[in-house]
Amino acid sequence: MENDGKRRAFLKVLGLGSVSLGGAGYTLLAQTTVEPSKAKPHYGMIFDQNKCVGCTSCEVACGKVNAVPEGQVRLYVENKTDPETPMEKRYVRVSCQQCEDAPCVAVCPSQACHRDGKTGIVTMNPDDCIACKYCIVACPYDVRFINEKTKAAENCNFCLNTNLAKGKEPGCVEACKYKALVFGDLNDENSYINQILHVKDSVRMKPTYGTKPSLRYIPIVKAGV
Amino acid sequence: MNGAINFTYGFSHGVEWGWPIAVYLLLAGISGGALIVALLVRFYKKQHEDTPLLKAASLVSFVTIAFGMVFLVGDLEKPLYFWKILIHYNFTSVMSIGVMAISIYIPLTLIMCLYLFEKEISVVLAKKSQLVSYFAMIMAILTKIRPFIEVLSVIFAVIICAYTGFLISVLVRFPILNTAILPALFVVSGLSAGTASASMVASYWFKEDTHSSDLKTLHVIEWPIMAVEIMLIGMLFVSLLVGNEFQQTTTVAFKSGVFANLFWFGVMGIGFGLPLVLNFVLGKKIASTHLAFYLSGLASVVGVLCLRMFIIYAGQTFGV
Repeated sequence: MENDGKRRAFLKVLGLGSVSLGGAGYTLLAQTTVEPSKAKPHYGMIFDQNKCVGCTSCEVACGKVNAVPEGQVRLYVENKTDPETPMEKRYVRVSCQQCEDAPCVAVCPSQACHRDGKTGIVTMNPDDCIACKYCIVACPYDVRFINEKTKAAENCNFCLNTNLAKGKEPGCVEACKYKALVFGDLNDENSYINQILHVKDSVRMKPTYGTKPSLRYIPIVKAGV
Repeated sequence: MNGAINFTYGFSHGVEWGWPIAVYLLLAGISGGALIVALLVRFYKKQHEDTPLLKAASLVSFVTIAFGMVFLVGDLEKPLYFWKILIHYNFTSVMSIGVMAISIYIPLTLIMCLYLFEKEISVVLAKKSQLVSYFAMIMAILTKIRPFIEVLSVIFAVIICAYTGFLISVLVRFPILNTAILPALFVVSGLSAGTASASMVASYWFKEDTHSSDLKTLHVIEWPIMAVEIMLIGMLFVSLLVGNEFQQTTTVAFKSGVFANLFWFGVMGIGFGLPLVLNFVLGKKIASTHLAFYLSGLASVVGVLCLRMFIIYAGQTFGV
């Protein structure tokens, strides 16, 4: 009887030990395989108002690259020059703000408006869109529209299916002759966009909505006399 | 520095959700409201017979929600793809949750109609004896769960009314819509329009006496419902008046222009004023006529339609 108990205890220790050791080994193995893969990208864009001259090259390029029907835009350059000071030009990029907490994705009833799995970019699956316009009214920035040709809602998706798929920068960034637009991965500490954000003050549009836009604006701030 | 830069240009065309949505919101309100009122009267009075009021309310709730679907689907730019909404669900979307609720609610209203029109349907089916026996078989099963179905119908009727409010109250860009009061206002105005519709149909098609016990009950509860409705609209206005600069600019909608006319003549004048004048100001003789009964009922429904139109149009016109 006594011997039997000891043997049972020995077997227990042996069993538990092998399980825990095996488990530990497995987690170690898992860790080593996970570590090299990079964190998911978080694509963002900077619009520098100080550099924009309002030439609308970005608008034209966007329409061409993404085959946006005539009369419609994914990207618009709005002239916000104060009429009191007509010589001090102020232009603003109007486009999807690529919110981290995007209301359009939250409200879409058919999951057509979604976050791309690989890039995390808010984009559209036109085939699943029923064009209920819920995303258009839910967007705090009013930067979505129904594409007249596809009859599906659409937004700026950083040229996800066009330029980005070919390994190029978004059409607007490529077209800007004044380097007013910078595109890059905000999760990459060494990216150019992060280097700029480290040294420049930038703002998000309508931050009170808590949507955490990925677009950053560097406004013209006139200091001194 | 946040105010240093902004844009005011938008890609939408002003009011993206137009009158079909306002009509749908009215129909959903009538549907839910009629069923809630009629079933609560039944529970409260412990009725076991099928009253003309319940008959009318069941028919009204089924027909209005069915027509509502026509407007809802018709407003889509791709109406033929509406089935996509039934196979892709998104639980963070009020519209998706609403679709789920509707797909339970419509069968419930249909079953309510089957209960209330069992005899009529049997007579129609009598020509084909086979169908009658099938129908009798289904009804035998359904009759066993009738109390359960009735309670479930009330719950889902409330959900339908409330969801239409939440549907547009999540639109943060529009101060008039993005308020906590809206779902409550939609439930109460739905009750008011539903009460009016159910009593009119009960009297016109099911020959309920306009002074019968049930309709008298509805006539009594009509006024507190209206009072709560006015109170909620008042609260909505005050919350905008004392709100931030964007909320304050929307109060123009109540003060001048086409929206103010819609509000004061439509919602206040026809919706609240006319029934009150017909029933209390012109004396008992006029108040007890059939004309006054139907006119004040219609006025209530038109008033609620005006309220939905006002909310939808003024709401989307004054954006942040």
